[in-house]
Amino acid sequence: MTARQEPAAPAAAIAAAGAGQRRHGSFSLAARDRRFGYGLVAPAVIVLLAITAFPLVYNVWNSFHHVDYLFPAALGSFAGVHNYSEMFTGGQFLPSLYRTLGFTAVSVAVEFAIGLALALALNRRFHGRPLVRAAILIPWAVPTVVSGLLWKSMFDPQNGFVNYILQSLHLPLAHTTWLGQTWTAWAAILVADAWRNTPFIALLLLAGLQVIPRDVYEAAKIDGAGVLRTFVRITLPILKPAIMVALIFRTLSSFLIFDVIYAMTNGGPGDSTQVLAYLNWFAMFNESNYGLGAAISVALMVISLIIAAIYVAAFRTEQVV
Amino acid sequence: MRNWPSAVISSGPRRRPVPGGRVTVLAAAISAAVALAAAGCGSSGSGAGKQVAASAKQTIVFATQGLGSEGTATTTAVKAFEKLHPNITVQILNLSPTSDVAFEQLVQRFTAGSVTPDVITSDVIWPAQFAQSGWLANLSQFKPDTGAYFPAQMATGEYKGGVYAIPWFINAEGLYYRTDLIKTPPTTPAELFSDATAAMKADPALKEGLAFEGDKYEGAVTAFQSMGGDISTSNLANIDTPANKAVLTMMASAITSHVAPSAVSTWEEGQVQNAWLSGQTPFALNWPYIFALSDGKGCQPGCNPVFNKTGWVPFPSPSGTPQASLGGDDLAVNGKSTHQAAAWEFIQYLSSNSAQIARAISAGDPPSVKSAYGQQLYSAAPFFQQEQAVYAAATPRPVTPVYSQISSQLQTMISSVLTGGASPSAALSSTAPTVKQLMSTVSSGG
Repeated sequence: MTARQEPAAPAAAIAAAGAGQRRHGSFSLAARDRRFGYGLVAPAVIVLLAITAFPLVYNVWNSFHHVDYLFPAALGSFAGVHNYSEMFTGGQFLPSLYRTLGFTAVSVAVEFAIGLALALALNRRFHGRPLVRAAILIPWAVPTVVSGLLWKSMFDPQNGFVNYILQSLHLPLAHTTWLGQTWTAWAAILVADAWRNTPFIALLLLAGLQVIPRDVYEAAKIDGAGVLRTFVRITLPILKPAIMVALIFRTLSSFLIFDVIYAMTNGGPGDSTQVLAYLNWFAMFNESNYGLGAAISVALMVISLIIAAIYVAAFRTEQVV
Repeated sequence: MRNWPSAVISSGPRRRPVPGGRVTVLAAAISAAVALAAAGCGSSGSGAGKQVAASAKQTIVFATQGLGSEGTATTTAVKAFEKLHPNITVQILNLSPTSDVAFEQLVQRFTAGSVTPDVITSDVIWPAQFAQSGWLANLSQFKPDTGAYFPAQMATGEYKGGVYAIPWFINAEGLYYRTDLIKTPPTTPAELFSDATAAMKADPALKEGLAFEGDKYEGAVTAFQSMGGDISTSNLANIDTPANKAVLTMMASAITSHVAPSAVSTWEEGQVQNAWLSGQTPFALNWPYIFALSDGKGCQPGCNPVFNKTGWVPFPSPSGTPQASLGGDDLAVNGKSTHQAAAWEFIQYLSSNSAQIARAISAGDPPSVKSAYGQQLYSAAPFFQQEQAVYAAATPRPVTPVYSQISSQLQTMISSVLTGGASPSAALSSTAPTVKQLMSTVSSGG
């Protein structure tokens, strides 16, 4: 910053020309302040543009061009909608989309239910609460790939601890090859995903719960409201913004699930746990077809925006009521 | 930690939700979109720059995999090379020990047009794809002695009339059997199954009769091929053959008849290795490194339950002609490297007899150079003599730039058969057209 230099501010100077000396001074000071402010945020804005806007535009550009390294001669030539049509004719896109949406719906519902229960429990006073609060954060601090590999070994049918526990307790399913069948593989993925992400929901909801004043509950009690009624009429409405944030974050990140599946099943058995992000990764880093990969990315982005828009719309109608 | 979420949901305490929530919604949507878009990047570059002479003072970067004894063997070899060539410094770039991840790490550097690494370690299935993409230097310029190597592995580095990779060490997948439990190794699948069942009856310490890797990854393809599956380049136009059906049926029936545990559909080499070394199976399909673990350097009686009870043969295939899937690593030079001459010196050193034998003894990596198999090697590690029978049956996977896509199709096919998701004939008939179509994309467009 060239702080010593008197800034030349033509617009401000002209506007202030007729005004008195004092006004002129304060005007140019404001302009200088503003410019100094822009100067301060400029590096951050430039970095943000470089790491967000540029890749976004570049990716969309890629999706309309041949960027398949197997055919170096055609690299960068215009492809029209070729990548998008290849995405659909490949036969993998729609089944993967349905799987992804199904998993998103189930995982968000399960994780939200458990997360809410956890948050309510942690909001009560009990001995050792700080310790428990810290403890539930641990899964969230474990990198997803690590937790995926962890659960993969725990679900190992011969040497894993899941079957060991089931067998010790004489429970059914003790001889299940968890990752070897479609539905049990999904169940295992759901467990691994929920183990890691439920604390996130619990934490967001807990923060929301903590700001509800106690006197509201006391008033409800005096009015004779029961536990359920208090929860539905007081806790839930006040908690709604926190719920919305938790749901949106989890829905979008669940829709983009990749690492747990990559670590645990690699899309198998067969292709029964292959999700959209996996397809996207495969096109880019296995086939080195960045054009096709970009098309899938754009599709993921559009669907994510639609999901977000649905939440926005849902939020709006709630607000009117 | 506790402050952060409440800041995110600053509108929380108010009775009526305020628009702040909507801003968060939009922010979430935008950040999701942006995160996605950031995934896509790649750029093309120009040809290699001005070449540095081999005699000049320089540093070359060698990208390789390998931990433990393999890593130590590499460091030792690099030091010996630097002593012979004081003007060349070799810097080791460690890639992921997981083959698929190392592949991605290399592809990312190549697509970015990086001039380093100069020398890369390449799995035998990669050179065709890398060469087709123009990422590797054609080594024909250095007139390599291609006759010195096992022909099946040499073929993995040859593409469209050029030589793009030189074999470093060979690998082939064969059947380990317990010499104390199995008197003569089986020659047919039926014999294998009955021997395994008999052994399980006789020895209660055995948990299963046969261990192999059936998880959905590259290993499933090598297992299929080692058991007799025909995926040679000429057969890819139609893989739906009776012979392939017989192999898939055998793999599935190993599980349904309880010779192999259903867990093999999720096992990789590591689990098979554990099953073998812990003495819980009389038969296991795996690579030669097992020998170095069971009988190798530093091991004595009692160090594991299978010490000196390890035999190794090609897997008895249903067709009667055994195949051993060819693995191993090649060495290749980055097409953009400006140190290609020095890189070639380094490759020549690594494939010299002395370096090959030293690595075989210290790390158990079988030499790719035929002349390395001799008294010097056998006296230090006798099991290499037994390994040659398996290498004689070595069968390469198809040398094609679309190999990774074809492999992915085969993985899905094998995985669905092993897990009972599809019958062998249904899986073959649905996979065959896709594989045929993948092959046609290269022959027409490449």
